[in-house]
Amino acid sequence: MTPKPPKRATLPGYAQRLTGWILSRSALLLRQLSKGRLESAIGVTVGAVWVLIAPLFFVCGVIDWLDGGPDAVALLISGLVIQLVGFFILRVSKFPSTLPVARLFTAFVGGALAALIAATIAHFATGVAPTIDVALVEASATVTGTNATTIEPETVSLGMMLFRSLGQWLAAAAVIVVLVRILPHLGVGGLDADGGVATRSARRLAPRSSSTMVRLLTLYMGLTILLAIAYFSAGMPFVDSVIHSLTTISSGGFSSHSGSIGAFDSPAIEWVAIVGMITAGTSLPLMFRALRRGDLHRFVRSIEFRTYIGLIITAVVAVLAWSDKWPTADNLRETFFWVTSAISTTGYVAGNLSLASYGSEALLLVLMVIGGMSASVAGGFKVMRFMVLGRYIGRELRRSIHPSAVEKIHLGKSSIGEVALARIIGELFLATMVILAMVLLFTADGLNFEAAFSFAISALSNVGFAFGLGGPNEHLQALGAVGHLSGALLMLIGRVSVTPILVSLGGIGEPLQREVRRWRLTRHEKAVR
Amino acid sequence: MASDSTRKGSSLRRLAITPVRVAGAGLLAVAFAMIVSAAVAVIDGGGAAAGLTAAALITASVGCALFFGSQVSSSTDSALAFASVAWSWLAVSLAGALPFLLTGVVSWAHFDDAIFESVSGFTCTGSTILSDFDSVPQGLLFYRSMTQWLGGMGLVVLAVAVLPALGIGGLDLIASEAPGPTADRLSLRVRDTARRLWLLYGAVTCIVAMLLFLVGMSVFDAVTHAFTTIATGGYSPRAESIAHFDSVAIELVIIAGMLYAGANFSVHWHALSQGIGAYRRVSEIRWYLTLIAGAFGLLLWVNNGELELFRNLRESLFYAVSLGSNTGFGSSNYVLWMPAAHLTLLVLMLVGGMSGSTAGGMKVLRLQVIFRYSFRELMRARHPNAVIPIRLGRTTIEEQIASKVVGFVLLYLGLIVAGGVVLSGLGVDPVTAFSGSVSALGNVGPALGEAGPTSNFLVFPRAGRLVLMAMMALGRLELFPAMLMLVASLRGLDRMHRQREGTKSP
Repeated sequence: MTPKPPKRATLPGYAQRLTGWILSRSALLLRQLSKGRLESAIGVTVGAVWVLIAPLFFVCGVIDWLDGGPDAVALLISGLVIQLVGFFILRVSKFPSTLPVARLFTAFVGGALAALIAATIAHFATGVAPTIDVALVEASATVTGTNATTIEPETVSLGMMLFRSLGQWLAAAAVIVVLVRILPHLGVGGLDADGGVATRSARRLAPRSSSTMVRLLTLYMGLTILLAIAYFSAGMPFVDSVIHSLTTISSGGFSSHSGSIGAFDSPAIEWVAIVGMITAGTSLPLMFRALRRGDLHRFVRSIEFRTYIGLIITAVVAVLAWSDKWPTADNLRETFFWVTSAISTTGYVAGNLSLASYGSEALLLVLMVIGGMSASVAGGFKVMRFMVLGRYIGRELRRSIHPSAVEKIHLGKSSIGEVALARIIGELFLATMVILAMVLLFTADGLNFEAAFSFAISALSNVGFAFGLGGPNEHLQALGAVGHLSGALLMLIGRVSVTPILVSLGGIGEPLQREVRRWRLTRHEKAVR
Repeated sequence: MASDSTRKGSSLRRLAITPVRVAGAGLLAVAFAMIVSAAVAVIDGGGAAAGLTAAALITASVGCALFFGSQVSSSTDSALAFASVAWSWLAVSLAGALPFLLTGVVSWAHFDDAIFESVSGFTCTGSTILSDFDSVPQGLLFYRSMTQWLGGMGLVVLAVAVLPALGIGGLDLIASEAPGPTADRLSLRVRDTARRLWLLYGAVTCIVAMLLFLVGMSVFDAVTHAFTTIATGGYSPRAESIAHFDSVAIELVIIAGMLYAGANFSVHWHALSQGIGAYRRVSEIRWYLTLIAGAFGLLLWVNNGELELFRNLRESLFYAVSLGSNTGFGSSNYVLWMPAAHLTLLVLMLVGGMSGSTAGGMKVLRLQVIFRYSFRELMRARHPNAVIPIRLGRTTIEEQIASKVVGFVLLYLGLIVAGGVVLSGLGVDPVTAFSGSVSALGNVGPALGEAGPTSNFLVFPRAGRLVLMAMMALGRLELFPAMLMLVASLRGLDRMHRQREGTKSP
């Protein structure tokens, strides 16, 4: 039998294939609907996210109603709508029997987008955000735990304030769930996804996934309650304590005051915040194992933790040295505050950094990029990954003298596979490209170079404050619609990491690639003939 | 050769250290430059002749001592090759500072400024600490431009053309000047490759000089600018650089020269011997030209509101090519441009020119590898078991080399960040600090912020200029040799000590 000739790239060919695709997909959809459900991972995720997010609306709506605020009705109604739509989608979707990795990526990104849309609706419906692009960027800040906002916190009702803070807290909790459950499958960087890396404690926890999730979430909740008590004892009013505890442990950074933590003007509160922020940037499995056995020595044994704390201390020393001021208790506290706020990617602000020097600005940006420990809720690229990269550079240097040496990269006692290495490096380069593109958009939208660059880094690492303008938090206000949308996207990319987003986009790109290849083949054929 | 060493070796025991020999050769080349400049100074009558001659004598004597007092080591390995490159660059930079000091242009109290100018010359960077160009004698300005011309093709390549006759593994040295996938060999013998590259280099320099003379420059200007154009260095004997001439024709000639010099010289040779199709076969050229064209377009678009059309075309093209080849000539003050333009310029400075050219920066080839590497990871995320090779055009890069390139880029970016942080800590505002860091490591010349094309590098504090000097050298040596310099030297000394111990005992 003669082999079939390759499909040609002609216009009728295109139309035929497009129609054929539409028809077959519709047929499939209809067949599945008639059977009762659609096989769609993304549908399940979106529906589930909306169903689960709706209670947040209800709780905040009720609280706002009790408080006599204006947003109760808006919250309750939008919550109801989201609940119903989510329920409907969930009802008609079912988890597919076979799930290729690409679909999982798309579902994951879809879930994040669903949360984003829900939060946008909340902001827009209640009138907290006047336009859609502002609503989107505020929602993005809530969902990604970034303290970048255009809103004055004092003008926001209790309901919405709680929505935003709880939103950040829940988003971080979702990150924990994703870390344990989903990322290992995606191989982007979960507890033990990096080819057997992370800490030994994490690997030990991983096999029994559900119990791991429950344990970590319990720890997370416990820490939140502890911190709220700590804030309250330090002198913060009750409601503020709750709100700040929610946004500290989640490394989100929202505050009920426009001066953030600085507005309280209380050293005790600032120290509590510092400790809270350090905790937010610490690896949760590590904390769990240390606390369970009462074995604080585990912290010391973790090489990543030592590096994390070492970075903080070195940065504090450097900033103080560069500020030409004597290290008084106040200076020390202020420096610690800014350094931990940057590295834990929380984004709290305490006044205008009076120890500001150019060096401290550069150093804080570097800390933002580094981020917290892996397996923590903090953002940034993660301390562990930079340690790995450092060792990689060392290996390549050594290899240039001994070209045939085969050397594995070790972190503590575990070694890192080549595949995981490649993933980390790819992620870094892609993130750099994304940042450069975004800086271009920000500068085109009116920010000066320093502001654009620092804000892009801050957004990608989900911190919030940046430099280059009068105050640390004015960047979003200075941007227009384009800047807002770019900022929202950048924050999302930072949280969800570049790979899932680009891979999902690749889902659209792949058929396109095939068509391009076919066109090239046809053109080559014509030339040959 | 063996008889040579035994004859001399009987009376004088020579140090069997390759780096010393190579350093000596480099110093002799520098002394040559000084003598020529002294001759120019005499013709021009500017008063630098005495200083230049004195410097030449000192350098020549040290060079002779080092060169003839040593021989190549019995064993040559990559570490030693790296060390040779690094140490010779160090020696050359130090000796190269002498003319500035001995002619009185830079006071001895600021000797580090003289070393800065020298390093900036030999690394083809083009950042300057000179402020009053009118008081600098012509001979010295000629010397300055000549240092870039020599640095362009690497004094080591010159040494390679001479030393193979003495039995050194020349290819190691060329390869050590540029780790990773680099210029192909033009002939089977390294010596011939080196000679051909120098021939092309010299010929193009002459052509550019003649063209510049034809479009209106004086002989002195034409020669000095030709030197620094083909070396993609950017030094100019004029304080305002190319803006001084305000001539479209001159700018076009220089643009063409920079574009040519920023491209791979062995591909140029292939094109000359085999026809222009050679350019089409190299994917890196397409990326290089696309990068510059893209930057040009972006600059045009961003500057659209600020400058009127013709001026915009002229300046955007000039800077797209000047920074795309990391030359660093200045035509207008781009610091006044929009921030979006600054970003474009920064990216150009970061990437640099093609591998195997005189340009600095990360090199377009490495950018290609990075792109392919990153997108391969995206593909692998969707198809975890796919085997995807990294291909540039039609050639496949093996994994080991790709790893090396990736490691290089990571180190490069890390050094930029570290340099920026250190400079900020020394009191420089972050934009100037980080752009200065990029400019130094990429051997560009001008930066952004306070250190733009109309200012000099005295904006940076003294310690900062030291950091920048180190970065210029690191960037020129393509990181690895310099970083391994100390290690290899220590190992070499250790080995020599052991050898001596070995010969002592029966």
